[in-house]
Amino acid sequence: MQFEPIYQNGKLLLPKFELQMNPNESTGIITDLKRKQLVINQLSDRSRYFVLRAGQNEYLHLTVTELITFLLQVTERKDRLDPLMDYLALNEVRKVKVKKLPPSKRMYVTLLRAFFAYQPTIVLEEPYFYLEEEDRRHLKRILEDLSQEKSILILTSNLEDAMISCDEIYRLNEFGFHPLDIRDSGEDKQGIKEHDSPNITLQKISTKRNEKVILFDPPEVDYIESLDGSILVHVDGENYVCVSTLTDLELRLTHFGFFRCHRSYLVNLQKVREIITWTKNSYSLRLNTGKDAVVPLSRSKLQELKALLHI
Amino acid sequence: MRISFKRVRAIFVKDYKEFSRNYAVSIMLILPIVLALLIRGVDSSLPLAAVAGTFATVLNLSFVMLTCFAQACLIAEEKERNTLRSLMMTPATTLDVLVGKSSLVFVMSAVVLVITTYIFGYEPANLGALVVVVALSLILYIATGTICGLFSRTLLDASLSILPVAFVFTGAPWGVFLADDYPIFRALDYVPSSQLVHLIGLSDTGYTTGDLLKPLVITFIWTVVLTIVSVVLYQRRLKDE
Repeated sequence: MQFEPIYQNGKLLLPKFELQMNPNESTGIITDLKRKQLVINQLSDRSRYFVLRAGQNEYLHLTVTELITFLLQVTERKDRLDPLMDYLALNEVRKVKVKKLPPSKRMYVTLLRAFFAYQPTIVLEEPYFYLEEEDRRHLKRILEDLSQEKSILILTSNLEDAMISCDEIYRLNEFGFHPLDIRDSGEDKQGIKEHDSPNITLQKISTKRNEKVILFDPPEVDYIESLDGSILVHVDGENYVCVSTLTDLELRLTHFGFFRCHRSYLVNLQKVREIITWTKNSYSLRLNTGKDAVVPLSRSKLQELKALLHI
Repeated sequence: MRISFKRVRAIFVKDYKEFSRNYAVSIMLILPIVLALLIRGVDSSLPLAAVAGTFATVLNLSFVMLTCFAQACLIAEEKERNTLRSLMMTPATTLDVLVGKSSLVFVMSAVVLVITTYIFGYEPANLGALVVVVALSLILYIATGTICGLFSRTLLDASLSILPVAFVFTGAPWGVFLADDYPIFRALDYVPSSQLVHLIGLSDTGYTTGDLLKPLVITFIWTVVLTIVSVVLYQRRLKDE
């Protein structure tokens, strides 16, 4: 099926994408509420798509048997009632009115409307969300049988729900529409972790605040300042005390883009927005952090900085 | 658009069970009977209390409070629970759904009104004409109820939405009395409820075929127009469901 792109306030909400729906296969799309709505809006052809929305409710005053009988008659199916009730695992609640069913069971009964669909494609929004363990199992079994002849599309915001019964899973978000290869991505992540871990643990800056040890990644830090013999690490407008010396830190952090701009300042060059010239011999660096932070720049260090920045 | 008797019957039976078990709505079934029992005892020698006049009032009230209300509720309730949308996903066509619901309301109203007439002890001048005009009125009020149901999201909306109908239709026979002061109210004489009053008011002797035909024709026109409007609206409103 084809989906047309949708823009809102000049931003692309729904990219143009095509979904290959094969029979005997169920597809899951993990996305948010808004995009679910947009996708469903494009599936309005009632002869091709049976869409069961999350807000679907049921005739409350009928008993379960009466409801299934009604659905059988209105869809003109030839199934016999008794074997069908067995198959749908509803024998225990045959005589119970829908409004007296426990919530999970009521949702399950509502979802059974999908079983009676004649359309070649069944679209379910958040089918597993309200179901308890047992009802999930029954629904999964029924959906698997249904997918022998029909294609099933499940829209959910929850990866686990999609993994219950989907063969193909896609993720649809602000970055577009991408297939999710569950096995491969798992292995990839492990690989990355093993590769990265020695580097990261070595380069953390350990600080102390209120008797707690807090570790920062160097890119998080705005600048480091030496004040009355103690080292203050500034992160996002807050400062934390660090135990090592400024010279030590300078050695460790140079290849993260830190620069000793002053006898008592070490600045993260990635965050520098502006070099301010006050007078001929006095300079400062303005950082582009949330709070307006200005760090002094020694005259002797200016040439070095200019060389670093190629200016 | 094809209509399948089997599906219509399934919808009829389903709606009958839903309606009869929802007491908040189905209590309206006894309203005409209670009205009949109450008003029957009024001294018929008083002005405005002639049997024919009060009977017409009871009928006009019942049409709105029972027929129109029941139909509006049946549709609004399905909309409220989104079951109408999933009914559209089944092979059931628009006509199946509308005919199934309308025939239920028609049968219920007809039975209740027959009982009411019996309790009231009203003897019509021309039974055939009365039956025809009541049947037409039932269809007409069902169509009105459908329109009310389509414009309401919930049951509560539906019970409020019949208020304007009650004002215009039930109030019309009285509104005509103001026609001398406000000429515009003369139009109310052509509302089916006023015509029903005329037809029921005919005395046993001395009426012409013209007296009989005029209410029938006017009611018939109303019925056809409102039925078409309701079916068209139904199809249009449900496209964006």
